[in-house]
Amino acid sequence: MPTPTLPETTDPGTTGSRPPVARAPHDFFWAQAAGRVLVRRTAQAVAVALAVTVTCFIIVQRLPGDIAFRIAAGRYGYDKVDAAAAAEVRAQTGLDEPAFDQLAGWILDAVRLDFGTSLVTGAAVTGELGHHLAATLHLAACALLVSLVLGAAIGVLAAQSRGGLLDRLTDVWVAVARAMPPFVLGLVLIIVFSVQLGWVPAAGHGERGNIVLPALTLAAGLSGLFARVTRDTVVQILDSEQVRFAETKGLGRHVVLARHVLRNAGVTLVAYVGVQALVLVEGVVVVESLFAWPGLGHALVHAVFWRDIPSMQATVLALALIVVVVSTLVDLAVLALDPRTREVR
Amino acid sequence: MSVPAPQRITTAAPDGNPDGNPAGTPATPPAPRWGTPGRAVRARTARLLAGALLTALVAFALLGPLVWHQYSGQDLSQFLQPPSPAEPLGHDHLGRSVIARLAHATRLSLALAVLCVATAALAGTALGLLAAWRRGWLDQLLLGISEVFLALPALLIVLIFAALASGELWTIYLGIALAQWVEYFRVVRARSVSVLTSPAVEAAGLLRLGPVHVLRRHLWPELAPVLLTMATLGMATAVLAMSTLSYVGVGLTPPTAELGLLITEALPYYHEAPWMVLAPVAVLLLLLVGLLGLRSQEVRR
Amino acid sequence: MTIELFDVQVTHEGRTLVDVPRLTLRPGRAVTIVGESGSGKSLLAHALMGSLPHALHATGEIHLGPDRSSLTDTRARRKLWGRRLALLPQEPVLALDPTMRVHHQVAEGHPRFLHGRRGRAEALELAGTRLAGLGLGGTEQAYPHTLSGGMAQRVAFAAATIGGAEVLIADEPSKGLDTGSRDALARLLTRHVDQGGSLLTITHDLDLARAVGGTLLVMRQAGIVEQGPTEQVLARPAHTWTQRLLAAQPRRWTPPWRDTTPDPAAGTTLITGSGLRKAYGARPLFSGLDLEIAAGERLSLTGPSGCGKTTLGGILLRLVPPDAGEVRHHPGLAEGRVQKLYQDPSVAFAPRVPIRTGLRDVVRRHRADPARVHLLLERLGLDPALLDRRPGEVSGGELQRLAIIRAMLVEPRVLFADEPTSRLDLLTQEETVGCLMDQVVEHGAALVLVTHDLDLAAAVADRQVSLDGIHDAEPAESERTG
Repeated sequence: MPTPTLPETTDPGTTGSRPPVARAPHDFFWAQAAGRVLVRRTAQAVAVALAVTVTCFIIVQRLPGDIAFRIAAGRYGYDKVDAAAAAEVRAQTGLDEPAFDQLAGWILDAVRLDFGTSLVTGAAVTGELGHHLAATLHLAACALLVSLVLGAAIGVLAAQSRGGLLDRLTDVWVAVARAMPPFVLGLVLIIVFSVQLGWVPAAGHGERGNIVLPALTLAAGLSGLFARVTRDTVVQILDSEQVRFAETKGLGRHVVLARHVLRNAGVTLVAYVGVQALVLVEGVVVVESLFAWPGLGHALVHAVFWRDIPSMQATVLALALIVVVVSTLVDLAVLALDPRTREVR
Repeated sequence: MSVPAPQRITTAAPDGNPDGNPAGTPATPPAPRWGTPGRAVRARTARLLAGALLTALVAFALLGPLVWHQYSGQDLSQFLQPPSPAEPLGHDHLGRSVIARLAHATRLSLALAVLCVATAALAGTALGLLAAWRRGWLDQLLLGISEVFLALPALLIVLIFAALASGELWTIYLGIALAQWVEYFRVVRARSVSVLTSPAVEAAGLLRLGPVHVLRRHLWPELAPVLLTMATLGMATAVLAMSTLSYVGVGLTPPTAELGLLITEALPYYHEAPWMVLAPVAVLLLLLVGLLGLRSQEVRR
Repeated sequence: MTIELFDVQVTHEGRTLVDVPRLTLRPGRAVTIVGESGSGKSLLAHALMGSLPHALHATGEIHLGPDRSSLTDTRARRKLWGRRLALLPQEPVLALDPTMRVHHQVAEGHPRFLHGRRGRAEALELAGTRLAGLGLGGTEQAYPHTLSGGMAQRVAFAAATIGGAEVLIADEPSKGLDTGSRDALARLLTRHVDQGGSLLTITHDLDLARAVGGTLLVMRQAGIVEQGPTEQVLARPAHTWTQRLLAAQPRRWTPPWRDTTPDPAAGTTLITGSGLRKAYGARPLFSGLDLEIAAGERLSLTGPSGCGKTTLGGILLRLVPPDAGEVRHHPGLAEGRVQKLYQDPSVAFAPRVPIRTGLRDVVRRHRADPARVHLLLERLGLDPALLDRRPGEVSGGELQRLAIIRAMLVEPRVLFADEPTSRLDLLTQEETVGCLMDQVVEHGAALVLVTHDLDLAAAVADRQVSLDGIHDAEPAESERTG
């Protein structure tokens, strides 16, 4: 067996447009890139918060004069509303101050995480927010986990049997998951599993099994997407030069799958979770309303219905921040998984 | 509500050199081709079917309201009348003609979807081209604005607008259009930047061919198929958003005939008149299937 | 272990792509196959390895020492991968896993790598030794994207050979490498042979074939047309096609345009670059560089990959701003009288538009005579039917000639050609450069040729500017005499 050694130690050719930086400290690049991500995402979060805050303020200003009546009606019932009750509401909620002062105060309050009191219940919005957030995160995390595991597993298997039965079934699954509106899917699940079979409760929160239907509804759509992306990515990697080379090195199929294919597919899949954050949040809004799951989405729809702008502002901000936080985590994960992303081009 | 596109929207030169191997390079084994002819045929058939389905739905939306024009007239003596030849879907709990309401709802959904997508695509494409062409501070500004929208799911934007004046059509139109423009902007801008910095455009510049040539021969052929795909996807999104909104009670208000409302209204009578629930659900599903099936199939290996 | 192949046939949908009655690899001997694109030389190597794409069908018999099996039985050979048969990949940059550190990629080819912690440590240690032996000490922890093409090639070599395979198959190993890296690669391959391994190299690069030595096989249209000791075949080719191939090397060219050089002294200066400086990130490419291009002259910019010659071209064309210095163009160069040819012509045309449409736009814009397109097509030996195709549907050589036609429609006074033939095989290169020079001579245009191929530069240019030093204030110039 020949043992190759090469006498010279210099690199005779620096091919490629990039200079060789083989010995550069990678941790430094990592920290630098992570810093860039954090700066960018923080700026995004601040901009979103500002935009939402100002928009909500404008909506309040634009609302027809009977908002005070409406709120009063929400509190005391329609038959007990009169001009005095409306005036009281107006004074209470600061609706009678000059617009500019209101805006400044509004933004300052938002910075302090004080979103005021709910126009409907009169309770502090911030206090309620915590419960809603916890419920939403619980639901979203369950759905994401189920869909990711299911989707990735189906995708990898489908890619292995390209053109086979499983692959075609995945196609069908993806098509159905994509065309099925979440609220219709939720409806079907309620009718089948709750009304007909009586296996799980249809709606509510707090009982065991309550989470099953909403999580499944949410996960169904997502898993189809994850399956499709995983399948296509794995197929692409399986066809790549790097997999061919790994095989000719003498590695078995399963070793190649574990050491090279899944590793590289992971980068794409993780990045895709970031894209799905938006879909997830939208799904949360629909599914929570459908199943009366007391999370941010449910609260948001309520707030919109009652024009409870402080609650709406808080929930929208929280949902948008979930998107930003998920995106940030995804960015950092991609940085950790794919060394190519760490350097400035 | 957005119908998520699960992969890059690529319509990579379906008619291009299949091997993508510039001739003259040394022989490599022909890349394995998995796209069997059967698959391509199946894809074309699926697209044809989707087209036929959509045509039928559009015809129903356009002609239906002419045939069954009474969609809001109440007549309690017709309470939950079962289907008959004259009224294929019977009457609802207020004695209104269900098929008339369905036809009007379909027309409303389609019209709104077209309007939203046209607005969003036009605005997004124009701004995307502008940003890619001018670069500099304008590009940065537009990118910054789009970042804000990226963190706001479309449904949230629509909901915020719904709070402005719930039950009115224009808030939903504005909300959906505003939620969607950013997608067109990002895609058009990214693609245009890569086209405009390509050697092909550099060569066109050296040949002094001018901006019209670049727009017609370089940018438009590259963007058109993507825009078309995005538009069908966007229409599905708009239809879905509108029905979801009224289903959860913050969209259009009764007595407007709208698909989501029809479902909500019919639900309490599911046991007595299941067709009243199933008909709007079916129309909604078929609309989505048609729109999603119409887009050129992803190039698959 | 001697390997013999008998009656190798590779077919695709009834078409025969390889038909070779016999191929022998012996320990300590190198075998090299050269041939044009599509001659089936790579397929032959993959048939031997058992790594053909599924759509292709190979028949024949293989004798691996005492073992005999059919070529259809790829499973049997798969078991030998890494241990007895190794494949050096075509493009090492693509063949390495971008997410894995270099020493792991090398070590995992070791038979004991997957056998417990001690096996892994052993494999990693050997990987480190091998990498150091290849002059890659200190890169163990690096990721592939930080390596140059030459370094990636050596990492791939270490990864392919760590399993101890005595048979090494190298499929177009010099693709994308510049001269220096190619010579280093040739030394690696020879070393493998010297240490008792056997080697099969597939290449279209005659210089690599010459450096590796051993037996040379010339393949054309699925069959072997000539074989013998490398030196002998290259010195006295018997087959007419081999003769043509050898004559197509730039250093053997005897073209008619060689003697039609106009007197450069008579030309006015068209492009003046003074005090040019450019850096790539923190790495300076050149600084304080002065360069003039006169009417009708033929200049070459040479240097290894990554030295900044393409960037310099872009600066002289005023497509890229320099970090310092300025570029002045003669007023006569306005209105598109400076044109450029690209390394990959397929990216220089609008990809989704028929070529005819693009040319028509040029004709209209410059009020050229539409009949000239067809005249030029005829002169450059192109079928007019090509005009109705899109750029992706035309071969690289033909497309480069179409790019020449497009440039010539505006009657340029300066033509920049950026590696215009580096993706073409020798025969196509000769044909393409011939067309290019005919047009340059006919129009009296100045030519600036950017190339890494010194022979090509010498064959075409009167004046060579070399950018091989990194900080060169003074580019080395050499004038051709006589």
